[in-house]
Amino acid sequence: MPLEGRTPPWSSPMPEFYIQALNTDDAGAEEPSATRERLRGAFPPGATRRMTQLGMLTGAVLAPLAPREEEAVIYASRFGESRSLEAYLDGFPSASPTLFQTSIHPSGVQQALIGRQAPCTQLFPLSGGEALVTQALLTAWLAGAERCLFCGGEERGTWLVEHGAASTESFAFAMSLGRDPSGGPYIGRLRLEQVDGEGALPLRDWFSLLHQRRPFDGLVACGWRLCLEWR
Amino acid sequence: MSIVEPVRLTACGCLTPFGDEAATHRALVEGRKALRLEPVLGVKGGDLVPMALLPGRALDETPEPAWLPAVKALAQRIPGSGWGTVRRPVIFTSSNYGIGSLYAHRQVAADAVHLGHCTPHLSVDWLRRELGWGSQITLYSHACVSAHLGLLQAERLVKAGLADEVLVFSYDFLSPFVSAGFHALKILNGAFPAPYQVQETGSIGLGDGAAFAVLGRGRGDLVLLGQSVYNELHHFTANKADGSGFAKVLQPLTSRLAGRRVWVKGHGTGTLEAGRLEAEAISAAVPDAPLVGWKGSLGHTLGSCGLVELAVVACSLGAGVAPGTVGSSGPCFSPSVATGPFTLSGGEAVLCTSNAFGGAHAALVLAHA
Repeated sequence: MPLEGRTPPWSSPMPEFYIQALNTDDAGAEEPSATRERLRGAFPPGATRRMTQLGMLTGAVLAPLAPREEEAVIYASRFGESRSLEAYLDGFPSASPTLFQTSIHPSGVQQALIGRQAPCTQLFPLSGGEALVTQALLTAWLAGAERCLFCGGEERGTWLVEHGAASTESFAFAMSLGRDPSGGPYIGRLRLEQVDGEGALPLRDWFSLLHQRRPFDGLVACGWRLCLEWR
Repeated sequence: MSIVEPVRLTACGCLTPFGDEAATHRALVEGRKALRLEPVLGVKGGDLVPMALLPGRALDETPEPAWLPAVKALAQRIPGSGWGTVRRPVIFTSSNYGIGSLYAHRQVAADAVHLGHCTPHLSVDWLRRELGWGSQITLYSHACVSAHLGLLQAERLVKAGLADEVLVFSYDFLSPFVSAGFHALKILNGAFPAPYQVQETGSIGLGDGAAFAVLGRGRGDLVLLGQSVYNELHHFTANKADGSGFAKVLQPLTSRLAGRRVWVKGHGTGTLEAGRLEAEAISAAVPDAPLVGWKGSLGHTLGSCGLVELAVVACSLGAGVAPGTVGSSGPCFSPSVATGPFTLSGGEAVLCTSNAFGGAHAALVLAHA
């Protein structure tokens, strides 16, 4: 059912957000060097030299949302900085301090925010599997901020992919979530409900819903149902 | 008028090289150190650096992690059942998760068994099955403030009525992956850490650690009076030179401390600049409160440090004595730093703080109910 068809607006103690803005980048199999070239203009001169692919992708989708100090930033990535991790491990016995730093979760979003010198009160970085998106949305809801920025993504690995320990594709998203429909224009709405049953919504599938602006209504984790609608 | 009960620390426990929280508390009060000099690359040798490993555990991860029996024993002490369900969810926090297994697979033995728990998700999914918990789990990983995020979210879930009780479970076991990284950053060197002490060169130690906390309403002698987080996002490994990040995380909590006797369990890794900024900010926020840090004995248990040290704090409140800053003898960055143990009278509140890469800060206040 389209948003306009529902009156009055839902009212429930269950998590409910109004999607104020959304940016996505489906980099797919793009090499980090190509991403660096493509997104160079989104960052200050020289800034991308030491950034990871996920750092650049996250930074580029997050920047237009202009994070503010009082807001909450929720970051979700199942695998994190796979290329840095691979390079750091392959550098032994000479461990690289830079690769060590950039391989640690949540380096991607930290690169994005440090590059902008954008402090934030609440930064909740999550990892996880099939329930990652649900837990990230719950975290966003309970953060209580008037506006919450939910971002995340993956970067395509190389040898880690063979072991199921890295993503096969690179992508990133960032969305601005408000709690109040009168807080400004919104492009969609999402709601979580506690229900019986089990489901799954991996990060890649969540990204596809966002990238294609597709609606969704179904179980997304143990005991949770998600309803996502677009205007 | 409705009365909203505060969220209580229903249960809390930890695992360190000394044993459980009672054994750890006793060792700290006696001024003992768990840190020993170990090769930074484990079986591959390298410089000797201070690390505190569980008894009999090697730095290199074994195909079935050698820490599993000790973690299972810790988990058996968690009261209640039905963990990992919608009303009793589990929040896992760590900065390492299964990274030691990934390192071992790549550098020591290309063994497929290691790969079964080599990512955060795989590590937690394997561990929660070993412990008999359900799939209602959340994973936070924010370096050394990870455990604080788990505690904050647990409190929020209970307050919002979305859970009856929440289990926060944290585990960080060392591997050459992490020791070599800190060694490359030159803060893990041959010297033992002396938190908050004025000296020429700073140094940290690293430690194995695991811990749990159950948060809920109605049960438990200790209550969370407040929690706070703040992220400077100024630099990956440095804080703002004015120390404003350290001050900002304390700001929301100072009103909760008014009129109470307070002591502070700080982060205190042994690095100089962060130690100075932290000690100064704490001294300014709670001027007469004794400040202690325990990483000079336990080493830095990384993403688990906030929970491991919380269990020792809870034990201190029960025992009526707080351990001092083991490894430091002064002079220190602040006259508030207590290098020896001190007696508690029973009415104190404790301010617990942790800091992390990226200028991340977290703090909480714990007191008797």
